[in-house]
Amino acid sequence: MKNQVNVFGAPLTRRNFVRAGGALLVGFGFAGPDALKNSARAAVPKNTLDPALPESWIEIHPDNTILLRTGKSDFGQSTTFTAYRQIVAEELSAPFEAITTVVMGDTDRTPDGSGAFDFLGSGTPNIRKAAAYTYQALLDLASQKLGAPRDQIIAKDGVFSGGGKSLSYGELVKGQQLKLTIPVEGDLTSPMGLTVKGNPPMKPVSQYTVIGKSFRNSVTESKVSAKEQWAVDVRLPGMLHARTVHPKSLGSTLVSVGPLDKTKFPNAQVVVKGNLVGVVAPTEWEAIRASQAVAAATKWKDWKGLPGHTRLFDYLKRDADWKTTKVTQSEKSTGDAPRALAGAAKKLTATYQLPYMKHAPMGPTMALADVRKDGTVYIYTHNQNPQALRGEIAQMLSTSIDNIVVRTFSGPGHYGRSNGGNAGAEDEAVILSQAVGKPVRVQWMRPEDFQWSTQSPAAMSDVEIGLDANGKISAYQIDHYMPAMQDDRPIGAVLAGLPTMAAPNEKAVFIGSTVNGIEDPWIYDGASTLIERGHGTFQVGQKASPYATGLRDHSMRTPGQFQQNFPRELAISEAAALAGADAIQFRMDHAKEERVLGVLKAVREASGWETRPSPRSKNASGAGVVRGQGVSVMFRSGTYWACVSHIAVTPSTGAIVVEKVTVAVDPGIVVNPMQLKRQVEGGTVMGVSIALLEELQFDESGITSRDWRTYPILKMADIPEINVVLLNRPEVGTYGGGSEAANALAAPAIAAALFDATGKIVRRLPLKPEYVQAVLKA
Amino acid sequence: MVTTTVNGVRRELQAPADTPLLYVLRNDLELSGPQFGCGLAQCGACSVLLDGKEIRSCITPLSSAAGKEVTTLEGLPARWTKQKGLSPAEAEETLHPVQQAWIEEQTPLCGFCQSGMMIKATELLERVAAPSVAEIKQAFTTDGPSPHLCRCGSYTAIIAAVRLASSIMAKGGAR
Repeated sequence: MKNQVNVFGAPLTRRNFVRAGGALLVGFGFAGPDALKNSARAAVPKNTLDPALPESWIEIHPDNTILLRTGKSDFGQSTTFTAYRQIVAEELSAPFEAITTVVMGDTDRTPDGSGAFDFLGSGTPNIRKAAAYTYQALLDLASQKLGAPRDQIIAKDGVFSGGGKSLSYGELVKGQQLKLTIPVEGDLTSPMGLTVKGNPPMKPVSQYTVIGKSFRNSVTESKVSAKEQWAVDVRLPGMLHARTVHPKSLGSTLVSVGPLDKTKFPNAQVVVKGNLVGVVAPTEWEAIRASQAVAAATKWKDWKGLPGHTRLFDYLKRDADWKTTKVTQSEKSTGDAPRALAGAAKKLTATYQLPYMKHAPMGPTMALADVRKDGTVYIYTHNQNPQALRGEIAQMLSTSIDNIVVRTFSGPGHYGRSNGGNAGAEDEAVILSQAVGKPVRVQWMRPEDFQWSTQSPAAMSDVEIGLDANGKISAYQIDHYMPAMQDDRPIGAVLAGLPTMAAPNEKAVFIGSTVNGIEDPWIYDGASTLIERGHGTFQVGQKASPYATGLRDHSMRTPGQFQQNFPRELAISEAAALAGADAIQFRMDHAKEERVLGVLKAVREASGWETRPSPRSKNASGAGVVRGQGVSVMFRSGTYWACVSHIAVTPSTGAIVVEKVTVAVDPGIVVNPMQLKRQVEGGTVMGVSIALLEELQFDESGITSRDWRTYPILKMADIPEINVVLLNRPEVGTYGGGSEAANALAAPAIAAALFDATGKIVRRLPLKPEYVQAVLKA
Repeated sequence: MVTTTVNGVRRELQAPADTPLLYVLRNDLELSGPQFGCGLAQCGACSVLLDGKEIRSCITPLSSAAGKEVTTLEGLPARWTKQKGLSPAEAEETLHPVQQAWIEEQTPLCGFCQSGMMIKATELLERVAAPSVAEIKQAFTTDGPSPHLCRCGSYTAIIAAVRLASSIMAKGGAR
């Protein structure tokens, strides 16, 4: 028996269904306009959960437990284990604890792809809509079974009541299957994956009982008690350990492979594919030692094609090609900036510089690949975007994604490095496994992870701000310059000469594009003339490289926006000083949005901010410590942020101690206060690290940062006191993201505090003692 | 062959004596607590206790563990219950106060460094029952072979968890 009803635009098919165990299964089919135009795309690949099949998203079991599946894996954000469970439980009116299983990331076990970023989707992640549709289907079924109209049924804690009767969700779904076909758009293996469309009714915020509570992260206990299976723990029968021997420089090609001494390494084997050299062995130690011996005797062509980090900004200013790529302009840009600037009473003209930085996960990239005789490839790894990786591996092997399965496990945070699929070891493991016909586990060593992974791109910005006679901004003009940020070519494939997507270019859309869009939303609407432009170029060294690589870049936590917010916020603090105004009050005088004003007010109150103009001291010198305060503001992914940093600086040495950081966060609805607080604290620590320490070192041939000594990050002894103020605003009706932004807030606030303390402005990061000292002495 | 005790169990290990202890623990004994972070004794992800003292297993040859007692994250519950004179059955159901505190404070973000952090915390609390914040910072920054690094920035939560673990231990294990 089949009948069809319509649930808020989504055709709903219900049929009586006898199934062992019986479960309500809700799935979604492709029905987006693209899919309708292109039936080939709508065909479901092998080894893929059919989004039209029920079990793809949410399962409600007869024992009242619930399973959910998401393409987004946890990378330390905790969202999939906390917020996602809360959101789904809330929309279903089920208890949080009922969601006993969360399946994440695996390409054959999750429905929607995309990456471990923007989890909350500015309030409507896929999983929320999936749950909302599911609830409507359940309600429909309950109405029928209870014999009561939908509007007279009450749902609470996983039980429907109406018509004098009650049914738990588990009882309701026994022997039933609901098949919803909901519009889904997008490409599964594209970086953004699939998006659930349509507008199912959502539970009113006023009825929330699960969202807003500090539920624990369910994966914490297994990680703390050594029960978690990490990607590094996966082993297959007959598996070989491997180390890759990477070229001598970023642009070196292979001359000759060093010999393998079989008397010392009897079980090792060398694999060469193009310029990719790998050494495999049954034990990890033999693979390491053999690869070191082979590496020492392998000859590479010399290559020089980079400016070196000391010449970086000269290169970007004078030599980089900013002409080929289209200049972007923000939507809010308006007015005649040159004229307004010419008529300004006071003017700030400045250039700001941000170095290359590393994502620097605590564990170097690794993966285990099993290329089977039948052509199927299984990859076991820790990757922020398994479906995108799947597409990249299929492209590399010139095969269909039908043949590729990526399974994901816990691992170190990547902070965006693998959000386009490529992390480094996966493709190399596949190439080596294919060559030796056995499963191969590739583990990069620490120096390789610094030298052969992607980096967060360097950037510079030219700012001009005009103030009128009243000390208000009459014109604001900023030109951001940044090399291409999103290079998702797997490096092993590049070295091996196998197919990949194109090198960054001006014609590509989003991924691999040299276009530099405006990422930092303007929040000071009081300024009448505003010009924000983005200038893009190729990756540094790309044009000189035989691989078209050079310094490969990739988005890092708060990508692009960090590079644009640092110059803006520091410049605004400078403009406030020029106007003789307090830096927070100056911002409040220019901002119109109530939520911007709200975070500024909150951070002013919580931080112990002294309302006064900067700087406190005009020419600080000597060995005595001087102190200062600074502020920064950001809007990102539906959340408003403000940060105050208090620092102490010793002018004679240039050494900065960040004493206190206060962060006010308004995400609208706070989904999980404890987890959000931990995210903000962690992001703040990363932000202080970025501000004080982090700068990729490289010479003309390659990256010379190779370990934690040459790329230091913040240590426990150097953390500030951190105060997090969460502003829960249910009336906003939606929840913004909380895992990004915090890492970008500290730097402009610390640089402003340095100016406040000393009267000198350092417009570059990191604020290393030697850079600070040079400016203080000038 | 090297004989050593790992988490209370005597082990005869066949790996070459120069193999770093970390690879033996992970690959031969299939322990998942200690992690490979740098192989250079610079980060602390691989930390284990060797006769009660924190070492970096990534640069410690297996031979150095001969005749000694190795404790990994897996061995913390038994280490605690042995110290408290609890039965093996109780040990099965107990986590070390450090682990309890790590859960209570929701300390890990990605969690990759946390095995080493908990090893360091255990070493510290066995030496100093109620460390000050300054002593905690010192232990995790300057006391060992290198600072213990966390890229996710969980240091604030670690300090809170060490202090909580200290109070749990002072009460004999019950929270």
